[in-house]
Amino acid sequence: MSQIMPSARQRKMRTLLFWAVPAVLLLLPLATNPYTQFIANGMLVSVLVTLGFTLTIGNLGQLAFANTAFFGIGAYSSAILAAKLGVPWLLTIPLAGAFGALGGFLASAAALRGIRTYYLAIITLAFGELMRWAYLHAKPLTGGTDGMPMPRETLLGISLTDDTLKFYIFLAVTVLLVKATLNLMRSHFGRAVMAVRENEIATASLAIPTARVILATFMWSGFVVGCAGALFARHVGHVFPESFGMLHLIASFAMVLVGGLGSVLGAVLGAVLLTALPEYLRAFPGMEELFFGLIVAGVLVAMPMGLASLLRRVSPIFVERFYREAP
Amino acid sequence: MDTPEPLLKIRDLHVGYGKKPILRGASYDVVPGECLTLLGANGSGKSTSMNAICGFVRPSAGSVLFDGQETAGLPPHRIFALGIAQVSQARDLFPDLTVEDNLRLGAMRRGGKELAQTLAHIYDRFPRLKERRKQATRTLSGGEQQMVAIGRALMSRPRLLLLDEPSGGLSPQFCEEIARIIDTLKEDGVTMLMVEQNLNLAFRAADRFIVLRDGEVVDGGDVRAMAGDHDAIVRNIYL
Repeated sequence: MSQIMPSARQRKMRTLLFWAVPAVLLLLPLATNPYTQFIANGMLVSVLVTLGFTLTIGNLGQLAFANTAFFGIGAYSSAILAAKLGVPWLLTIPLAGAFGALGGFLASAAALRGIRTYYLAIITLAFGELMRWAYLHAKPLTGGTDGMPMPRETLLGISLTDDTLKFYIFLAVTVLLVKATLNLMRSHFGRAVMAVRENEIATASLAIPTARVILATFMWSGFVVGCAGALFARHVGHVFPESFGMLHLIASFAMVLVGGLGSVLGAVLGAVLLTALPEYLRAFPGMEELFFGLIVAGVLVAMPMGLASLLRRVSPIFVERFYREAP
Repeated sequence: MDTPEPLLKIRDLHVGYGKKPILRGASYDVVPGECLTLLGANGSGKSTSMNAICGFVRPSAGSVLFDGQETAGLPPHRIFALGIAQVSQARDLFPDLTVEDNLRLGAMRRGGKELAQTLAHIYDRFPRLKERRKQATRTLSGGEQQMVAIGRALMSRPRLLLLDEPSGGLSPQFCEEIARIIDTLKEDGVTMLMVEQNLNLAFRAADRFIVLRDGEVVDGGDVRAMAGDHDAIVRNIYL
């Protein structure tokens, strides 16, 4: 089915909706308790992790699994900068993003050498495990198995352990990065990313520097997920190597697929659903995993293109530029 | 009248895949503003010749001079940037992108006003593409996809346009449309090198022809001088 692109009026509505959602979310702390606020903060972290992941795996079409490595790099960079060098945590967010982008640069090396599909998957998985090994063994820097505690800090006289304050900071960072990514993917660059995914040789033959496109996408993905790592470090207050293993990678992958591969909207929906779901399923002790699995499988069977496809059917305002519809 | 300096000079070109030689010392010229068609049976080296000019295959020997510059061995993106655009047999479109996105990808290196002007020019040339500009390319008919492929190549304002079997897989009605497109390109002074199995289209559209057999040029001449008598060429190609 061909996608119907939104009209100019619908695009205006979309912009309005984009800003209306965070505006309404500003009121969320009025309706939460400390527990639900903590979950909401976790959702915002997951949104950025999923967003970064879907860029490389969905938009660029590279089977790259270095996402958890970028996340760990971001979290540890933030913790080390804050705890060892006394850098204010807020300032560590873009710095963690920069280290994540550096991770993206390193991870793209394999893709730039023409390594693709399962081989790229294994190499990037190894990169993630190598980073986890580094967190465990660089004890003077990372704290080894004991991890890295985040230092106590205040902002405008409020402790950064306050979940409401964290929520507002997380929301601002998330909105900023989602908007920046949407703009990036709607630009000439987004068109080139899509072209590389569809036919790299044909793209190169049009004098488009495909290597630079791949590199920049990995770096932007690393930046977004690196920033998420800094938020995560403050969210949990203590960074452990175990947080950046295969389990996290699989959970992020599920969020990408449930939301809709390659869709920014899908990244948000998948992250929100799969972060909230385990918490709600706590009401069914002993059956959580079963229900979780059934719901994830059910969503993917009913909507192979993820939750975002449901909204696209409702209105063209949810159609994303350069998003690939179901074949 | 002086013969114009060739835009493309192919000299003693040898190209092979592995140990199998395909082109064995082919030499020919393309002069500015003409449409030259390469004829020959399957495996005679027509498409290989195109791919060598575009840099998709590396010649083992010989020379490809484009406007005096040696391009043999250069990567495809460098050759494209010099002004050689190919519409390949497979068309190499991006099926999930819209018609307009496909066209814009042909001119990624240029932007702003210049790109908008070129796009408007392409839409003037192919009004049907303007109607379908927001449609995913995979939803178009074969003929319309061929228009997108030609339009995308023209977006780069090429100095030499290579057309590899432009009528491939198209209905007779659309072959006629392709011939008309080539006519208008010629009127605009676009230099073209074409490979075409459909001899009616080839002779209808081209100014000159050359015949390749076993990787060598064995015949050639002015299409108009043939005065519609193509039997000798057909014999030369297939017998």
